[in-house]
Amino acid sequence: MTFFHFFNCAALTFGPHAIYYKATPLSEYDTFNTCIKAAIVYLTTTFLKLVCLATFVQVSEHDTGFDLPQELLKGLIGFLDVAGLYYALTQVSHRSISQTHKFQAVALGWAFADAVLHRLAPLWVGAKGLEFTWEYLLQGVEANAHLVFTVSLAALGSLMWLRKNKPSALVPVIYASAAVVASMPSVVSYLRKGLAWDFEKVVSFELSASIVMAFVSWRLFSACQRPSQ
Amino acid sequence: MRGWWRQQVMGQAVVVMVVMVMSMVVADAAAVVDVYRMIQYDLRGAPMGSRRAALNHHATSGFDVAGADLSRAVVILPVLEVNISSLNEFVQNKGLLGGLLLLLPQRSHESGGGEGDDSDENVGKVLVELEQWLVHNTFQYPVYFAYEDDYVKSVLQEVSANDAAGRPATATTGGYKLVVSVSEAKKIATPTLTNIQGWLPGLRAEGDNSMLPTIAIVASYDTFGAAPALATGSDSNGSGVAMLLELARLFSRLYANPNTRGPYNLLFGLTSGGPYNYNGTQNWLRNFDQRLRESMEYALCLNSVGSSSDHMWLHVSKPPENAFIKQILSEFENVAEGLDLTVELKHKKINISNSRVAWEHEQFSRQRITAATLSQLEEASELLQQTGGIADSRRAVNETVMMRKIKLVAESLARRIYGQQGTQVEVFAAGTNLALSPAYVRSWLDLLGRTPRVAPFLGKNAPIITALHKELAQYTKDASLQHETLDSTFVFYDNTKAQLNVYQVASVTFDFIVALAVGSYLIILFVVLFITTKVKFLAVRNLLRGPIIPLTIDCFFNHTNPFCFS
Repeated sequence: MTFFHFFNCAALTFGPHAIYYKATPLSEYDTFNTCIKAAIVYLTTTFLKLVCLATFVQVSEHDTGFDLPQELLKGLIGFLDVAGLYYALTQVSHRSISQTHKFQAVALGWAFADAVLHRLAPLWVGAKGLEFTWEYLLQGVEANAHLVFTVSLAALGSLMWLRKNKPSALVPVIYASAAVVASMPSVVSYLRKGLAWDFEKVVSFELSASIVMAFVSWRLFSACQRPSQ
Repeated sequence: MRGWWRQQVMGQAVVVMVVMVMSMVVADAAAVVDVYRMIQYDLRGAPMGSRRAALNHHATSGFDVAGADLSRAVVILPVLEVNISSLNEFVQNKGLLGGLLLLLPQRSHESGGGEGDDSDENVGKVLVELEQWLVHNTFQYPVYFAYEDDYVKSVLQEVSANDAAGRPATATTGGYKLVVSVSEAKKIATPTLTNIQGWLPGLRAEGDNSMLPTIAIVASYDTFGAAPALATGSDSNGSGVAMLLELARLFSRLYANPNTRGPYNLLFGLTSGGPYNYNGTQNWLRNFDQRLRESMEYALCLNSVGSSSDHMWLHVSKPPENAFIKQILSEFENVAEGLDLTVELKHKKINISNSRVAWEHEQFSRQRITAATLSQLEEASELLQQTGGIADSRRAVNETVMMRKIKLVAESLARRIYGQQGTQVEVFAAGTNLALSPAYVRSWLDLLGRTPRVAPFLGKNAPIITALHKELAQYTKDASLQHETLDSTFVFYDNTKAQLNVYQVASVTFDFIVALAVGSYLIILFVVLFITTKVKFLAVRNLLRGPIIPLTIDCFFNHTNPFCFS
């Protein structure tokens, strides 16, 4: 029954993306091309990140332990993600779709590409084996959390770069939240390596943090939306 | 139209991917354990031993577990807890079993000192009995041996706990699954027996053209056991081989110098096929030419000389009243007194019509060559008994006593060769360059105690055969190998070692529950997203708290409803 397990985990990991697309108006407005373009931008960004990581980050012999300078460097390189999102949101030409849908489509394409690249191969190799571990189910939950993170980041990003008129009081809040969401990967890796948390704890932290940040960005977004409405 | 075509292509791509996925097999176990397969052989056409090799079943801890389907389970039994009579009953009733995994106590890596404590002896006895029972029965399922390390112990504990709590491992309840993926065993087409021999030619007196008499010293070096990969036979007959090599070393020293070369030829023979009625010895003797046969004064066979007991037996087939036999015995007795050993004569008549050859000297006697076997064993063993199986460990061999026994044989032979019977001369005195070397004997005992030597699985070029050949070549002249095929009474099948993969599998119910959970999560997600985005938000929700569900469903199907976003 191991293919069963594989299909379960694959559904948990990739299902939400498809459902997000189908259930929200994204499918109505045929934003599929936007998603594809965002996925391509993600691929390029990841490639650039890998090149930077390979060039600048040293591989340590003992991979437990949290080497602060190296992790800071990795976090910095992680900010390339933000740059990629910026490029996807602003530079790539989209058909005329509203602001709300644009950032959602970009986020969807971005998160889907991330899920496929990072989680499909381990899932294929691991979940099909006879051995059972909780790892792949937890990975699926993590993919869900990552989707929420990406949507929040894209929302904040669109607020920062696409919207011209923002209530000035909220601007620092926007930038602060964006910084928090963008540094999430470093925080997670610190938890996993520096504090040696179990995978379950890390995933539950990610889930709760993603919900919190999503709520924050939703409030910010609707707050900024009111003037134009 | 284009959308439909795109869907078709995607559908086909999905099907192709699914087929590819299904055809890939992944092996990624939690742990891999080395296991040693039980022997599979045919004796005169009757199938014996374990007849299957591949294993793929759930693990269970005993035969009486309620609710377990034994024909689809592998029973894990520590060897010390095996109840042979109940196991025998199970087998005699032709009980079906998925497989049997026997756990041997963790082996210690100390070399023998001979002072094994009582628990060692106990283990040895249990193993001997178990091996004998296993070897003489047929099992239609795979039987494997493994050493009990911490991981295996923890697996067994968990399995026992689950079984005791009434949750045996089956396909629907999950648990541990043991998988050995090997192909079924094939017959070994030409099992080879390799005999190794070496000469130390004696010194002929001036003007004497007749053939010198020859004394042969023979030991069989191969073993047989319930698990061929573990049959290292330290006492049977590693001790005999080590004694023979030490004798070869000592006499080569004496014979190196023509002044001390004796008037006897010495023939050293390491024979194979011991457990199979000394088949190799028989072939070796058949190849002797007539002159050699006539010149052979007598042959001394060494069999199991390594225990701590100082009582030795000289087994003969000629009647004890025979003058020559009396001579040989008295030579041994004279030397034995000074070494605190006793040698006693034991006579066993040969029954020509019986194909069972219990001692090696009987093969010589059948060829009309006087021979005797020196052994610490009192009784002749039955077929495939005392053949150096798992129970015969290095710790069973006592080197200190063995050195005295080697001295016994060496001095007796020397007195015969140099005509010093009756005197008390000590040829191989300590402190001289003819002294016995305990280190040499120990190193050979260690090597033999680590090397499984079941002849059909050794082939012609096994490292141990090459090593023995080189060693004899160092001390003797004309060291040669002779390859023979084992006679067809015994047929062996290969596959002696394998790797066991231990998987922890979840039950089918668990997979169903997870599928249900994931499915409901996705459905809820869909509904939530649908409601929050496709149904007009604030106003509708506040006013129409009632018919929100029918409205949702209506929006899903009918987009012209003014209350829905288009």
